Amino acid sequence: MNLGSGALGEIASRAVSDYSNFLREYLIVGLFGVLAFATVATFIGLARVFRPDRPTAAKIENYESGVDPVGDGWSQSQIRYYIFALLFVMFDVEAVFIFPWAVGLEQFGVFGLVEMVIFIFILALGLAYAWRKGVLRWV
Amino acid sequence: MFAYAASLLAQVTLEPFNRPAIDWHAVAPELVLLAAGALITIIDLVGLERVRKLMPTLTSFAFLAALIPVLTLWSQEDELPRSLFDGAYVVDRYSLVLKGLFLLTGYVIALLSTNYMSEGDYYDSEFYQLIAASILGMLVMSSSRDLISIFVALELISIPAYLMAAWRKRDLRSNEAGLKYMLMGVFASAILLYGMSLLYGLAGSTKLVDIAAALSIGESKPLITLAIVFSVIGFGFKVSAVPFHTWAPDTYEGAPTPLTAFLAVASKAAGFVALMNVVIVAFPGQSDVVEPLMAVLAGVTMTVGNLIALRQTNLVRMLAYSGVAQAGYIMAPLAVYGTNVDRVPSAMVTYLVIYAAMNLGAFAVVIIAARKTGSAEISSYGGMFGYAPGLTLAMTMFLFSLAGIPPAGGWWAKFELFRVLTDGNRYLGIMLAIVLAVNSVIAAVYYLNITRQMWFLPTPDGDTSRIVTPPALQVALALTLLVTIVSGILPGLVSDISGSLQLALP
Repeated sequence: MNLGSGALGEIASRAVSDYSNFLREYLIVGLFGVLAFATVATFIGLARVFRPDRPTAAKIENYESGVDPVGDGWSQSQIRYYIFALLFVMFDVEAVFIFPWAVGLEQFGVFGLVEMVIFIFILALGLAYAWRKGVLRWV
Repeated sequence: MFAYAASLLAQVTLEPFNRPAIDWHAVAPELVLLAAGALITIIDLVGLERVRKLMPTLTSFAFLAALIPVLTLWSQEDELPRSLFDGAYVVDRYSLVLKGLFLLTGYVIALLSTNYMSEGDYYDSEFYQLIAASILGMLVMSSSRDLISIFVALELISIPAYLMAAWRKRDLRSNEAGLKYMLMGVFASAILLYGMSLLYGLAGSTKLVDIAAALSIGESKPLITLAIVFSVIGFGFKVSAVPFHTWAPDTYEGAPTPLTAFLAVASKAAGFVALMNVVIVAFPGQSDVVEPLMAVLAGVTMTVGNLIALRQTNLVRMLAYSGVAQAGYIMAPLAVYGTNVDRVPSAMVTYLVIYAAMNLGAFAVVIIAARKTGSAEISSYGGMFGYAPGLTLAMTMFLFSLAGIPPAGGWWAKFELFRVLTDGNRYLGIMLAIVLAVNSVIAAVYYLNITRQMWFLPTPDGDTSRIVTPPALQVALALTLLVTIVSGILPGLVSDISGSLQLALP
């Protein structure tokens, strides 16, 4: 390792050019961020400028699928639904994979069948787990 | 109309489906662990409370069983590298070393969890199944050479870890740990996916080698830069690099301590493996973009981590920040991969192996000491030499290793880093080596402060009854201590295994 003045000078000059290249390439990342903020700000700002603003009590209520909202936004929902939602996701994912598989089943043949049985077995293990551990019971 | 439709249908010829040739031996470690994990779940479902006590043992055996195919693959060295799924999955010496590391780490974590989980009124059966699932993701990660399998592996690693971080569910801090870790992790995944989508858009392929080829002829440097920055940031969260480290201290402190060890060692190592796979295989020609990014990240990470660690009064938080700093050290070789790509994987894997041993060991001591003192405050370690000399000696060895003081293994790991960084006399490498050297001195202050507490200061509450170490923790301590000491005294043994590793191209 030679750290004489020549080598140091060379290292330093290389550092300067490295650094400016470095900045130039990262400039685009910054521009990208600015653009993202600017786009959102423009759209929201334009809407604010152009739209008429005549609020009534009914208008500024939260939109809740047409049903009148009851209580405030921080109301708690029943935690028991959460577990059923999770189990639903399991079957949902299962269906997502089974539909394309079913379309190609003729081609896949026995290999495809075995693969799908393994896949469903692993998912069914999750259901068996939920059942055995009493998750399905409405306590 | 119908005739036209019929003629269209007639043109559709069903291409015969050819079952992809699968090298079963090459994926045997993953399959063994998957089967063992399913078996453990079934045993748990059948036996419920009756088999609860068996779970840690069964899980340990699952890890050791999965280690057997790793060893048989290693012994057939002339058949390596084995490439599967059209090059998306590669089994080479590099990935085998990492698989061995992850499986042994999983084994030690199971040992560390045994008493912690059974004594604390937790759902412990699930804990072990989730550890096994997470380790399975790490095995997949070691071999992944494809964006999709890397992402799936990353999620398989992370999602069980989010759950386990909140395992002490009656403790608010554990809830906070799980929530913070999950929110930050999901955020990181989103950024990573954005980077990956840009890479796919540039290359039209998810395979890392194809991406490398497409980037090398790519015209749009800004877009390439953007894709690289986003991907690196995504992995930066996983390895807790500054400024993406904010989740680490709170998560480490709130999570159950065995899981903290798991996050600090296994999960972090998996993040580095992903980073290495992507940077070395997919960005070989983009060193002008990646190197400065890595140099800045590594330098900032080690400096910030060490400076904050200096002020900690809780040992687990201190280890968290020291882990942030260590992440900076491990990342450093990637700042010179453009010229030293042959030596970067070896240096990083060597560091990961030794880091795993010394950090797991330090956490083992924390868990053992907390069984008596019930605290992880640094002051509670005062005077430990008086009533637990063996434990104090072991902890001293781990802390010396973390600080890089011979004879413990850490010095060799750091030496390898310096060798890679200074090789080739490059400005970035030498600057980073200087930063690393300065940081090693800063780090020594807080590591040695703990040894000072243990050796010289009085016991805070005067309770000098002996510490009882259960057998599982004794084995964990012995294993990690053995690796830490042997790797320091006979570094040749480590470099026989982790030296001259290359990422094989499919």
